[in-house]
Amino acid sequence: MSQRKSYAVGTGLFIVLGFAALAYLATQTTSVVNSHQGASYTVDAQFANVGQLKERAPVKVAGVRVGQVESITLEAGKDVADVKLSIDKKFNQIPTDSTAVIYTSGLLGDQYVGLQFGTAKNYLANGAQLVLTRSTQPLEEMLGKFFGAGGAADAIGGSYKVTAHFTNIGALTVGAPVKMAGVAIGSVSDVKADPVKLDATVTMSINNRYNQIPDDSAAAIFTSGLIGSQYVAIQPGGSPNSLKEGDQLVLTQSAMQLEDLIGKFLVSGSSSGSNNAGGNGNGSSNQPAGKH
Amino acid sequence: MSARMGHENVVMGSLAQIGRCGLFLLRILSATPRSMRHLTETVRQLWFVGGLSLTIIMTCGLFVGMVLGLQLYHVLAIFGGTSATGSVVALAVYRELGPVVTGLLFAGRAGTSITAEIGLMRATDQIAAMEMMAVDPIAYVAVPRFLAGLIAMPLLCCVFCGMSIFGGHLVAVDWLGVDNGTFWSNMTANVNVWDDVINGLIWKSLVFGAVISLIAVFQGYTTAPTSEGVAYATTRTVVASSIAILALDFVLTAFLM
Repeated sequence: MSQRKSYAVGTGLFIVLGFAALAYLATQTTSVVNSHQGASYTVDAQFANVGQLKERAPVKVAGVRVGQVESITLEAGKDVADVKLSIDKKFNQIPTDSTAVIYTSGLLGDQYVGLQFGTAKNYLANGAQLVLTRSTQPLEEMLGKFFGAGGAADAIGGSYKVTAHFTNIGALTVGAPVKMAGVAIGSVSDVKADPVKLDATVTMSINNRYNQIPDDSAAAIFTSGLIGSQYVAIQPGGSPNSLKEGDQLVLTQSAMQLEDLIGKFLVSGSSSGSNNAGGNGNGSSNQPAGKH
Repeated sequence: MSARMGHENVVMGSLAQIGRCGLFLLRILSATPRSMRHLTETVRQLWFVGGLSLTIIMTCGLFVGMVLGLQLYHVLAIFGGTSATGSVVALAVYRELGPVVTGLLFAGRAGTSITAEIGLMRATDQIAAMEMMAVDPIAYVAVPRFLAGLIAMPLLCCVFCGMSIFGGHLVAVDWLGVDNGTFWSNMTANVNVWDDVINGLIWKSLVFGAVISLIAVFQGYTTAPTSEGVAYATTRTVVASSIAILALDFVLTAFLM
């Protein structure tokens, strides 16, 4: 009998320990608050682009969670996303002219919907619609705004091809934009390794509209922003003759490695030999590029 | 018996084995109401398969959490994301490692002892004796062990996960210097009760518990009544349980996600 009792006590201890562990896991290590969905009301908002927004993403006012995204559907017949926000009943004093904005938490974080209050005296009710919305900003567009990147040049009107040799093209790919003064004037149509000169031959097709580019212009490979994609920048020279189909850009500056760039800042004046595949040793024409 | 069959019968033999196992599950389920008379036996088995497995489960949970904390800290440090150590440890343990490792340990620690015990009962004719005394061996021997495994697995899994979190905290916060508040707040922000604890941990461990106990009881009950047969059945319990756990883990993850 005492034998059986000790089993019972041990088993009871085991069960209690197990359930204590479960309670601990469920309450201390999880977001009970986040998954709690009490009484709430639903508000509609339409966005042109929801990006990576997911269902059950938080809805925040001033950074404080007030609800979650209930559903994301495509508006029938239109290219806008219909997002239903379910907002906690406690927060029932949101002005009707508030703006719904899709934000990203940090650089790589999840996206959430932020509500910026308007000034109206009426408050949102169940089924109301948020008229003012701001869609997610793709990182490319944001960087583009900073660095003046436009879309690729339109191919209408034809284009002409010029080539340039680089010792290092970094991560330049076919289709990357070719820019002058930050404006896209064409695109990279081909990237090949030269078997004889052991460097990279980049063929660019430039829109016919831009047919007055001096033929002593320099081509440099730049990166849009810290983590952006690479593009070819044309820096105009002073020659009276214009570039024509099949011409070669002699002055080139290869892709900058981040390490080189930082090295330049730290040790000013030490120039690495990665520049100027043109071979004419004209260092001064490369200087502007180095300051980019 | 299937060992004596030729190689060409391996597929048919396995199919037959699975079929017999399924029929055995039906016998267990139909005998469950009758075994309520032997409730103290269930409690005793719960102590044997659950209570006595606590030590190994807790030790292993602690070390799994510690190694996760150590590895994740160094990988996440590359991206400057060491503050996410807590949440990644918790998610990894709740969703996958907790149920799977607990299941494998449970199969090795408790499943084998169930098989060996029932197998020896079979080999020494104790089961036949019970039948002669009009005691239903399924209700008295098989069902209590099956139920005990079913109940013990989720509880053990919770203990395992708790110890893993503790181990991860020990390494990441106490040794490597992740901020204590960040560790916990990141974890609570990213772990969800329903998705991770209930769906991930409880459901998986319940299913694993049922599968492991079923395999263990079945292998013991149908063993060849020789010492060699018992050894063979014990081995098969571990092998079959491990395969079943890992295969089911994928299926369950695909379903529950």
